[in-house]
This record gives sequence, structure tokens and C-alpha cells, in this order.
Amino acid sequence: MDDSRRKPDSDGPVGSTEGTPAAVDIPDSRFAEIPPDAEKVLPPADSVAGKASRAFLRRVPIWPVIEFLSHKKVPRHKHSFWYTLGSMGLFFLIVQIVTGVLLMIYYSPSQPWSSVQRIVMEIPFGGLIRSIHHWSANLMLLALFVHLFSTFFMKAYRPPRELTWLTGLALLGTTMFLGFSGYLLPWDDLSFFATRVGISEIEKTPLLGTWVAGLVRGGPDVTVDTIGRFYPLHVVVLPLLLLGILGIHLFFVQVQGVSEPDSFRALTPEKKRYHRFFSEYLVNEIPIWMALTALLVALSALFPRVLAPEADPGAAAPEGIKPEWYFMVPFQMLKLFPGSLEFLGMALTGLIPLLFLVVPFVDRTVPADRRGRVVARLGVGFLAFLAGMTAWGILS
Amino acid sequence: MNYPVWDIPFLGAGLVVAIIAIIHVLISHFAIGGGAFLFVAELWSNRQPDGERIRAWLHKYATFFLVYTTVFGAMTGVGIWFSIQLASPEGTSLLIHQYVFAWAIEWVMFLGELTVLYLYYYGWKTNSRRLQVWLAGLYFVIAWGSLFVINGILTFMLTPGGWTLENTDIVAGFFNPGYWPSLAIRTLVMFLVAGLGGLLIASRMEEEDALKERIVLFSSRWVLPAALLLPGLFYWYWTTLPVNTARLMAAGATGLGGGRLEVMTLFAVVTGVAGMLIVLGSLLFQARPKALTFSAALALFVVAQIGFLGGEFSREMARKPYVIYDTLYSNSVWKHKAAEPGYRDRSFLSLTRWDPDVVPLTPAHGEWAFRLQCASCHTRDGYRGIVPRTASWTALSGFKWLLTMDQQGVMPPFVGTAEDRAAISAYIQSLHGRTVSAAEILSQARAEEVSRSKSASAPTREVEP
Repeated sequence: MDDSRRKPDSDGPVGSTEGTPAAVDIPDSRFAEIPPDAEKVLPPADSVAGKASRAFLRRVPIWPVIEFLSHKKVPRHKHSFWYTLGSMGLFFLIVQIVTGVLLMIYYSPSQPWSSVQRIVMEIPFGGLIRSIHHWSANLMLLALFVHLFSTFFMKAYRPPRELTWLTGLALLGTTMFLGFSGYLLPWDDLSFFATRVGISEIEKTPLLGTWVAGLVRGGPDVTVDTIGRFYPLHVVVLPLLLLGILGIHLFFVQVQGVSEPDSFRALTPEKKRYHRFFSEYLVNEIPIWMALTALLVALSALFPRVLAPEADPGAAAPEGIKPEWYFMVPFQMLKLFPGSLEFLGMALTGLIPLLFLVVPFVDRTVPADRRGRVVARLGVGFLAFLAGMTAWGILS
Repeated sequence: MNYPVWDIPFLGAGLVVAIIAIIHVLISHFAIGGGAFLFVAELWSNRQPDGERIRAWLHKYATFFLVYTTVFGAMTGVGIWFSIQLASPEGTSLLIHQYVFAWAIEWVMFLGELTVLYLYYYGWKTNSRRLQVWLAGLYFVIAWGSLFVINGILTFMLTPGGWTLENTDIVAGFFNPGYWPSLAIRTLVMFLVAGLGGLLIASRMEEEDALKERIVLFSSRWVLPAALLLPGLFYWYWTTLPVNTARLMAAGATGLGGGRLEVMTLFAVVTGVAGMLIVLGSLLFQARPKALTFSAALALFVVAQIGFLGGEFSREMARKPYVIYDTLYSNSVWKHKAAEPGYRDRSFLSLTRWDPDVVPLTPAHGEWAFRLQCASCHTRDGYRGIVPRTASWTALSGFKWLLTMDQQGVMPPFVGTAEDRAAISAYIQSLHGRTVSAAEILSQARAEEVSRSKSASAPTREVEP
């Protein structure tokens, strides 16, 4: 490839210009040197791209960063597919940011319902953008849940990657709160009552419950003041938090390398095969992102997000108010323990994130020992429990 | 209103047909384009020094091709027949009776297609090279012939051209205005799908293999004709659409619909997005042929499937409110009958061939009237659900609205008495969890009429058809 780009008829002795671009004849302390490693991969020095990239690297010497990034490699084995779930989550996040910014152009927190109605009814492609935002939010959470469990079953949480696991959990939690805070913003019947029920559950938590509920609601009940709180949370605070933690999460993956399952680790070095992340692996992520783009548009055309009638805080809650599917487990838990047992239901619900948090400190051995296998089996049971509760909640 | 209705909760009968059909349509295009792919690849392999290796790869392609198109193609093809006759017996019957010979030719084509494909595939080792090339070519010709036939019937439903119920000019109906652009579009699209199939099989090859690069380049070129010519062909197709369809499709994009996009337009957007993504994806692998993995190739195939979803959905919706354009409405009411004086005031249940036998104005009456008049397009709370669409209805406003529902041009006219309308309106209220009796709606409506006639002292216009 490189040879073909070089001008065959360039005069001057061959090789004399190799590695010594004409522009640095007189060393200038203001400019950085091009590292020899970089010279090997940059485009030829006499091409436009070669000149531009060298000029840039002399001014902004980020070659170490590029080299640091280029070390990332992805193991190739029969479970490799699951590595893509994280990048799917990232893709949906990008969609959320783009569509979210577009929605912000016309959304007005002081007239929540009528501004959303205007987006759906009047703004060109407004309904489509809103539906994509809705579907992308749901699929982002789905991708993150699958990412969580595929990481769990590939045992990628074991030392030294405990912190990657914990930041991942923080990302999932933040995304769930993004879902919760965004759900209220249209201020329709469904979102209003689901939020009211959701916050009243928080209120029942002992000690801090009342205080926290009052804080997020901005008063004793869900009002337009609650939107005043949820809106900045949804569009500024939580996204910034998410991006910050995501940066740390990805940085850890970059430093520690992608985790290898035990079966891959056991292979001899010559049998281990990898894709370089840039760009072999990335090239193949792009079609998957394309398929997700097409899927989002198709889902939004097939099942557009409906705007229910404007919330009427005085009215009785319509029947069958349910939270979104990703909050179904705590919702069902509270149903399982009615009345005075409610306390127990809340305690058990509170245990769920705790279980996830302690996993990397319980199962630590590589390759998996007896305890590791028990944890994996418990994980299957736990996944079945969560899926079952969610399905039950959706169907009931 | 031919036979008992097919009531599919959440999805609705139409969506069941659509799900089966869009899977089938991707397969059927692949089944034709793949034939051309086999033929060209056979010729190509004959000219290459490593032709044996190319043919070894081609055998994998042919295996996938055979299983995917014959097994799943046949299953979904028969599935379409099963589902459309339940979803619209009246429309299915019309298509069968008008195009008896077309269907007969079509089935002969299918038989020929299968026979030649089996001769080609199972004679892989024994047939001469010449014969294999010849069989692949013959397969493509027969398969394309089946498109030539079915395309006439498909496009007839949207643009019947010079055909009418009276003249039954089936040649004019077959070679209707939409026929040629549709044939050209489908022919190019099937080459595209054949290329994506090639990428899918090539992705399983070892990355280090130099042949992989050549086959990926060979396969991705099949996308080019569609990429270059489809925009123009779609414009040609657009010019053949009925005026009402074109107006609806443009609504929103031009502000006609107050900015709200017609769902048909949304599906056209889906197709456009998918088409662009496929072109970008194949360009990506033109640039990096060795890097192609199975999941990436499969992802492009999924994009193609979604593109078909968009295209076929918008084509189906373009017929609104008809099943056979300008002839038979989606709720199985004939246009010429609905235009007869007095027809629309007749009790709808009495017009059905199968009498559900319900007591008038009971909830069962409302449910049956809903099933017969609404359920061909609307589910209760699923796909195109009636509940979100009637959120602002009162029992009385719904009762009145039903009479004028055909005026926007997207829904058929309502056929039935005031009692039928009251029963449906009460039923829809019950879906919202509100109990209203149909008899009450009727008496309210009458009271309103009386008071209006008193104040205006003019003759009343009760339930004007």
C-alpha cells in the first residue's frame, strides 16, 4: 500500500529522505521530534497527509497516547461476540446524546407536556427523534444488563479488574437514574404516576427516605418543581457523571487489557489469536452499529412512543401503573411482601446491588476453583430470578 | 366480512402477515440474485488459476443458499398464503380468481427453480464444468421469471391501472403503472442481497487467506448497481403512485400534516437509512476486505432485512385505505357497494357471511363490530392500538367520529347502523376502563339531535351516510 502511494518519479537519491523530513533541517527547540516508531507508520513525508500529520505531531506530541491506545487488543475465541455489548452501550449513549440535544431545542421544562406535544405533532421528524430517544434508552439498558452478565459469566471481574467491575456497576446505576429522571419529563399521565409511585417507594426507606424523597421531589408531592430538579439532573448532572465514570472505566480496560476467559488463557501463546482494537476490531464494530441504527429507526416507525394525556395530579391514578421494565424487580418485590412485610421486601431489594458489588471480592481465583464455579451457578439462578420477576411484572 | 375474523392480540393479523412476508421477501430476493451470483462466480472461477479454491468457497455459498432459500423460503411462502387468507379472505379470493393463470405459471416456475437447483447442487462433483455454468444460468432465468410474474400481482394491488371489476382486463392490471419500476428496483436489490450473502460466507474464511480479500471485493461489488441506480428508480416508482398516496407520503416532510410524519413516510425513511448504511458498509469492506468478520457481515444482512421491512411496509401502507386500490377497502368492504345508496346504513353484522349472533347493543355486539370493522388494521392496545388513538374520545364523540372516519383518506368508510356505532364506541370506552352502555350513547345522541332541531327549527340530519 505505502509503496504505491510514493511517487515513483521523485528525484533525489532513494533513502536519503527516509526519516529526516526537510522541515526539521534546523532543530527548533519549540517543536518536538517525531519518534522513530511514528516514522514507521506515518504516511510518506512528501505526501500531504504525511506533512500534515508530522506538522501536527511536532506541535502536539501525542505519539505516546496513540501508542498507548494502539496496544489494545481483543482476544478471538468462540465467546468473542460478547465483547461487543459494551460498545453497543456506548453506541446507544451517543444516540442518546445526539437525540437528547435535538429534543432539548424544543423541550421547555416550564411547559413540559405541551412542548413535547409540539415536538411530536409539529416539529419535522420530532416524533421520530423522540421515539428513537425512547427506544435507544431501553436498548442501552438492555445492552448494559447483557454486558453485565456476559462479563460476569466470563469472570472478567476477578483481580486485578475489581475496579473496572465497580465502575461498570456505577455506569449501570447512573443509566438507570437517567431513565428514571427522563421518564417524568413529558409530564403525561403514565410518567407522572409512575414517578409518584417510584418516589413514594424511596420515601419508605428507613432513616434517610423521607429526606431523599423530599429532596428529589422538591416538596411533599410530584409537581412541576420536580421537573425543575429532574431536568438539570437528566441533561447535565447525570450525563456528565456518566461520561466521567465511562472515561475511567475505559481507561482501566485500556491499561489492564481486555480480560481473557479461562479457556483462552489456557491456550499456548501461538494458539492465542487477537484482533488489534484499532482498527481491525473497530472496523467490524461499525456494521453492528449500523444494524443498531437501522433497528432504532425501524422500531420507532413500528412502535412510536405515544404521548399520553397531560398529567392531572388531582386525578386518581389510572389502573395498572407500572414502572419501566428495568425497575420491575423492586416493584414486584414490594408486591411479594405486602403490608407489614414491606420492610423485608425493601431490604431484599437493597441486597441486589450489594450482591453485585461483592462478587469480585468473593470469587478471586484464576482459573476458577470450586468457589468460582459455585458463584457462576448462583449467577445463573440469580439471572433467572431477575428475568422471571421482570417478565412476571410485565405480564401481570 | 367474509369469514370469522382472525383476532391476534397485540400484533394484529396484518402485522403477522407482515412479519412472515418481510422474512420471505429477503429470502426470495436472495433466491433470485443468488442465482445470478452463482452463475457469475462460476464463470469467474473458470478464468482464475485457483478456480478450484474459489469453487470450494462457492460450494459453501451454495449450501447456505440451498438451505436458506428452499427451506425457509418455502416455509414463509406457504405462511404468507395461510396468513393472508385469514387476514383478508375477500382480497385473497379476488387475487386468486383474477390471476389464475399467473399463479399457475408461478408454481411451475417454483417447481422448475427447485429442480434445477437440486441438479446443480447435488451434481456438484459429477456434472461437467460447462453443465454447472449452464444450470446456474438456467436457475437464474427461471427464478427471475417467478419475480416477473409475482411482481405483476403485487404491484396490481397498489396501482391496478386500466383494470376494473367490470372489465377484468387482467393484462392491463398485470402490466400496471407500477410494474416496470418495481421490477427494476427488485432486480437491483436482489443483486445487492446476493452480494451480502457472499460477504456472509466469505467472513468465515481465515483472515490470513489472500483469497478472502478477493472474494470480499468480488461480493461487495454486487451492491454497486443498486447504490447507483436505486435513487432514480425510486423516483420513477414514486411518479406511478396514486395521487392520494403521494400526498400522504409527502405529508409532514412538506408540512401538509402539520409536521407529523405519516407512518408510511417513516418506513420509507427506514429504507433510505438502511440503504445508505449498506452502501457505507460495503465501501468499508472494499477498503478493509480482510478484516471482515462474521458478526459484521451478519449485521449488514440484518440492515438489509430492516431495509426490506421499511420498503415493504411503506408499499403496503401506500394502499391505505384499500387492500386492492380503489376497489376493496381494508375492512373488506367493496368500494362500489359502499357507494350504493343505503348500503352503509345497513346493520354490519347482517352483511357478514358468518353471523356472530349477538344481542344488539350488548358489549358482545361492540366487540364483534370492532373485530369486523376495525381489527383488520387496529389492535386493542398493541400495534396501531386503538386505545392510544382514542385517548381523547368521549362515548358521544366516538359515536359521531365513526361516521366521518373516511374523510382523511387513510381509513375506509364505516358501514353500519347507528346502533353498530354506539356499540363500538361503548366497546372502546370499555377498553379505557370506562363503562358506558351503548343504549345510553344512542339516547344521548338522539336527545342532542332533538335539542338542535328545536333551536335551529330546521329538519334534522340524523346519521347521514
